[in-house]
Amino acid sequence: MVAGEDRDPVAQLRRGVAEPCVLALLRAGERYGFDLARELAGVGGLVAGEGTVYPLLARLRRRQLVETTWKESAQGPPRRYYRLTAKGKAELDAFVEQWRQFRFTVDAVLEGDR
Amino acid sequence: MSTRTDRGVADYLERLDDCLGTLPGATRRQLLEEIAEHIVEARQALDPEDEVGLLAILDALGDPEAIAEEALGAAPITAAPRSDVVVPWLVLLGGFVFGVGWLVGIILLWSSATWRLRDKLLATLVVPGGLLLPVLLLGMGGAASACTGSGGPGLPTVTHCSTHGFVLPLPLGIAALLVTVLGPILVAVHLDRVRRRA
Repeated sequence: MVAGEDRDPVAQLRRGVAEPCVLALLRAGERYGFDLARELAGVGGLVAGEGTVYPLLARLRRRQLVETTWKESAQGPPRRYYRLTAKGKAELDAFVEQWRQFRFTVDAVLEGDR
Repeated sequence: MSTRTDRGVADYLERLDDCLGTLPGATRRQLLEEIAEHIVEARQALDPEDEVGLLAILDALGDPEAIAEEALGAAPITAAPRSDVVVPWLVLLGGFVFGVGWLVGIILLWSSATWRLRDKLLATLVVPGGLLLPVLLLGMGGAASACTGSGGPGLPTVTHCSTHGFVLPLPLGIAALLVTVLGPILVAVHLDRVRRRA
């Protein structure tokens, strides 16, 4: 743990939303880990690097929100694909609803005294 | 691992492995595997000897420390089973609970991700039954010494007892007793320490 990071509210926030964001990336269908890591790191500000996506995926898998399957790839070794489980889908839907509320509330408070 | 680039990958994975500290075996293996797969995948677009390209890949992956922090910071969320607390006790003393307590402890031990394979093997083999075994040994020794004690009436009974208590060399018997007593205690302490660190 980096001292001081715990007190950085943006870092805390990022930590909280990274998991639902991974679930959201899987909503359209299964993806393989490499692809997920690239995209999530590519949007900037959500994860520290491509590598940190993997512990995050492991956590989602342990909570049975995602599951993995192996698929042959045209070039190179077989790939590990991730997909949403029914539980993961439910968790994502719940988060989306809560996030809308949350965003509205925070915006209202932050902009209230302008 | 002949080329410089391959060595670069190996170094990176080794640094990551070193940072992962107490992460349980299966989780750790899978993480290292996935990061290695990621590097292989990313390198497919590169010349195998392209060092600059490899550095860019490792840079995008991020510091091993940052990956480890994410993995270890997440560890409490994996929620170690509550039964972990009693496992060291059951492995040590469970043998006295109708003999099956030790077995229950071993089953809980093997089904928990808190301990690594070597901890599990250690606890299972040193010493099966925990402290029940030395107590049984002591019981047999006591019975043997009692026999010789009855054979010698009068004052020197005590000395007769101790010399004839064990048929095999006495130091060996004491050593065996010590090992079977200390072994399970040390193993239980070790299990508990691993549990607290996890």
